[in-house]
Amino acid sequence: MSTAWPRTVITGIGVLTPIGEGIDPFWQSVMAGQSGVKRISLFDATGFPIRIAGEVTGFDAKKYIDKKDRKSLKMMARSIQMGVAVSGMALKDANLDPSQFDPTRIGIDFGASLIASDLDELAPGAHVSTDHGKKPVDMQIWGTQGLAVMPPLWMLKYLPNMPACHVSIMHNLQGPSNTITENDVAGLLSLAEAKRIIERGLADVMLTGASDSRINPLSLTRLSLFQQFTKRNDDPARACRPFDRERDGIIPGEGACNLILEELSHAEKRQASIYGEVVGAGAAQDRHRDGQGIARAIQAAMKQAGITAAQLDHINAHGYSHPHFDVMEAKGIRQAFGDQAPPVFAAKGYLGNIGSPGGPAELAISLLAMKHGSLPASLNYEYPDPECPLHVLHGEPKPITKDYVLKISFSDLGQCCAVVVKRWQD
Amino acid sequence: MNRHRRRVVITGMGVVTPLGDTVEGLYQSQIEGRSGISRITIFDPGSFPTQIAAQVKDFRLAKYLGADASRFEKAGPNSQFALAAAKPALADAGLLDPGAGDRTRMGVYLGAGEGKQDFYHLIPTIAKCSDPHRLQVDASAFYRHGSSGFDPRSEREQEMHTCTAHVADVYALEGPNYSCLTACAASSQAIGEGADLIRRDEADVILAGGAHSMIHPFGITGFNLLTALSVENSEPSKASCPFDARRAGFVMGEGAGMLVLEDLEHAQRRGAKIYAELTGYGTTADAFRVTDSCPDGRGAVACMRGALQDAGLAPEQIGYINAHGTSTQVNDRGESIAIKTLFGPRAYQIPVSSSKSMLGHLIAAAGAVELVICVMTLLRGIIPPTMNYEVPDPDCDLDYVPNQAREKRVDHILSNSFGFGGQNVSLIVSRFSGK
Repeated sequence: MSTAWPRTVITGIGVLTPIGEGIDPFWQSVMAGQSGVKRISLFDATGFPIRIAGEVTGFDAKKYIDKKDRKSLKMMARSIQMGVAVSGMALKDANLDPSQFDPTRIGIDFGASLIASDLDELAPGAHVSTDHGKKPVDMQIWGTQGLAVMPPLWMLKYLPNMPACHVSIMHNLQGPSNTITENDVAGLLSLAEAKRIIERGLADVMLTGASDSRINPLSLTRLSLFQQFTKRNDDPARACRPFDRERDGIIPGEGACNLILEELSHAEKRQASIYGEVVGAGAAQDRHRDGQGIARAIQAAMKQAGITAAQLDHINAHGYSHPHFDVMEAKGIRQAFGDQAPPVFAAKGYLGNIGSPGGPAELAISLLAMKHGSLPASLNYEYPDPECPLHVLHGEPKPITKDYVLKISFSDLGQCCAVVVKRWQD
Repeated sequence: MNRHRRRVVITGMGVVTPLGDTVEGLYQSQIEGRSGISRITIFDPGSFPTQIAAQVKDFRLAKYLGADASRFEKAGPNSQFALAAAKPALADAGLLDPGAGDRTRMGVYLGAGEGKQDFYHLIPTIAKCSDPHRLQVDASAFYRHGSSGFDPRSEREQEMHTCTAHVADVYALEGPNYSCLTACAASSQAIGEGADLIRRDEADVILAGGAHSMIHPFGITGFNLLTALSVENSEPSKASCPFDARRAGFVMGEGAGMLVLEDLEHAQRRGAKIYAELTGYGTTADAFRVTDSCPDGRGAVACMRGALQDAGLAPEQIGYINAHGTSTQVNDRGESIAIKTLFGPRAYQIPVSSSKSMLGHLIAAAGAVELVICVMTLLRGIIPPTMNYEVPDPDCDLDYVPNQAREKRVDHILSNSFGFGGQNVSLIVSRFSGK
C-alpha cells in the first residue's frame, strides 16, 4: 500500500460493557480476570433456556447525556441509549470537543443489529385487537384502536441507524454517516470503513463502533430458536470458554463501544494522545464456513499493513465459545499463518457475545494492553482442544513484546473482517 | 497525492420492482408514466389510514432460482428480492458462472433491509402473556408461547445480515461482504462505499445495491404513526405526487436493485460490456433532527457538492437530477432549496424528476433502483417524468419534467437519496466514453 494515503490513528475509547462502564473499570476487570457473565437481572428469565448473560447492570443513560438532550432518551431503545452514551465517553477520552472543529469534517460509521421492540409497548394494541389473545389479530381494530394506543414515534425507537443519527445530532457531526448491519462483525467493519473514509480525505475524525442489547424477552426467545446457547446456566463466570474443549455455546450479552479514528496530522496538531495506528483491514465471505474466508480477511489486512506474522504480538480472536465456530476460526488462523500463528487472546470469556460492538470492544482490550504493556489472559481456557490447535494465551497476563495486533471478527453467516493495529510510539 | 484510485464502471444490472423485474420493462414504464401503486394485497390493510402501496406483483423466487428456491422459502422478502435481482445482474455482466473470474475478488455491498417480523404470531402472543390491566408482558410465559409459535427459520431470516450472506453464498461472491441500513439512503450508500472498495483495490467486482420490503403490518403501522405516508386510498396511482403542492406523504414500495460495479481495467480485460461509469459519491449527515431534514437543506447541499468533487465535475456538467422526491412536504421543499443553493440560477435549467411518482418509495432499495433508471436514461437519452404533477408549489419551482418524458442527451446524472434521520447520499453516473 502506498504510504501517501493519510494515516489513521485511534485517539479515543468509550466502552460500556458487562465488565464496566468506562475504560478504567473495564481494564481493571480484565486484569483481575473477572468475568461479566452473570444471572440475567434485567428481566425474570426463569423460564428461559438461557438464564445467564453479559449484562451492563445499572446502566443509566442520564449520567452521560446533557440535560438539554435528555428528552430525546424516551425516543431511544436501550441499545441506542448505550450507543449515544458511549460516543460522549469516547470523545471525552480523546479530549475532543467537536464544536471546536469544522462539523462537516467529523463523521460517524456505526454498527448495529436488529433492535427488539419493547413488548409492553405493544401490549395495549395487542389486547384490543385480539380480544385479549383469544382471537387472531383483527386488522380492522388494529388499524384504528391499535394505532391509537401506540406511541407516535414508536418506530424511531428501534431503527438501526438511530444510534448514528442521535450521535450526529447531539454532537453536530455533519460529515459522512453510515450504519453497518452485519451482526457480530458490524462494529469491526464500521472501523474498517471509517479508516477508508479518512484515507480518502472525506473526514478528519470518524466515530466508529456499535451498540447492541439482546438481553430482553423478545431477542432471547427469538435467538433461542436458532442460536446454540450455552447450557452452563449454573456456572456463569466459567460459561464462556473460547477454544476450550468444554465450550458448549454462545453466551448472549450487550454493550457498546466507540473508538475515535482520526487522521494523523489532525491528531498531532491538537496533541492528542494516540492508542495506535490502524494500518490494515480486510473483509471476506467465508462461504463454506470452513475458515477460508477468515484466512482471506486476515491475509488482506496483513498485506495492507505490510507486515509478517512474526511482527504480531498477538491475535485478538473472535472466539465465540461455540463448538463449531471456534474450530472454523482456528482453521482460518492456521490457514493464514500455518505453524507460525502468533498466540491468541480471546475476550468473550469476560464479556459474552455482546454482538455488533464486540469487535471494537474486544480490540479496546488490545489497545489498552499496548498502552499498559501487559495483555490480560483469556478467561476459562483450561482444556486444550485438538480441533483448535492454537496457542491460546491463558493463566497470567503476558507482557506486550511486539508492535502489532490483529483483530478478527466474523458472523454466524460467514461475514469476516480483520484489522491490524500498530502500537503507537511517539 | 501519490495514490492510485481505480475507476469504477457498471457492467450489469438487475431489478425486482413494482414496475416489473426487467431493467428494460422498468425503464419503459418510467418513460410511459405507468404507476405501480395499488391497494395492498400482501396483507389485509383493514382500517389502516394507508391501504395502498407499490407491491411487487406475482413474485416467485423459483422463477429465478428453480428448485434452489425452496431453501429460501422462509427468507424475508428482502432476501428473496435480492437473490432474484442479483441473478440477471450477474448474468448481464457475464459473471453468473461461479467459474468466471477470481471469486475471492468479488464482493457484496447491499442496503439490505431486515426480514419480516411475524406480526400475526407476535401480537396475539403478547396479549396472551400480559395482564389485561397492567399490560406488562410476563417474560417466561412469552418464551413458552413464543418458542412454540414462532418459526425458527423465519425468525433467523429477520436478521439484517442474512440477505448479503445468501447472495454471496448462492452466487459465489467471496470477497468483502457488507450490508448497511441508513434508512432511505441505504442502497445508494452501499453503491458508493462498494465502489470505494474497488477504487482502493480491495475488490475487482462488487455486487452493490439494495433490497427491502416494509409492506407489512409493522411497517405501515410505524410510518402511519409518523404520518409520513399518503392516505390517498381512493386513487392509488395519483397518491405519489412529488413536488406538487398537494403532496401529503410517500407511498411505500418494495423490491431490489442490483448493479455490478467493476474496476474499469478488469472489465476491459475481459471484454465486458460497459453501461456507464460511477464517477461521484457524496455522503453527509444533517445532524438536525431525527424526524425532519434540515429545512435549509445543508446536508443535501454538502452531499451533492461532495459527489461533484468526487467526480471532478462542475455543477453545469450535470444534465439531469434524479431526485429523492418522496412526495412529502418536507423532503421535496428541502431538496428543491438544496438544488437551488448548489446550482444557483442554473438550477432552473436542469431537469429534475422523481421515479417515486410511479414506483413508490422502495426505502433501502430505492436508491439502487433509481440509479438503474439513471443509467438507462444516459444510454437512451429519454428523461422519465415526474407524474401527477398538477398544482405548482411556489417553494418547488424547478423543472420537474411534469407528466411527460423528455428527449435529451445527457452525459452526467446526479441521483439523490436522503435517509430518515438525516443521512444523505448523492451518486453521479457518467457516460462511459471508452477512455
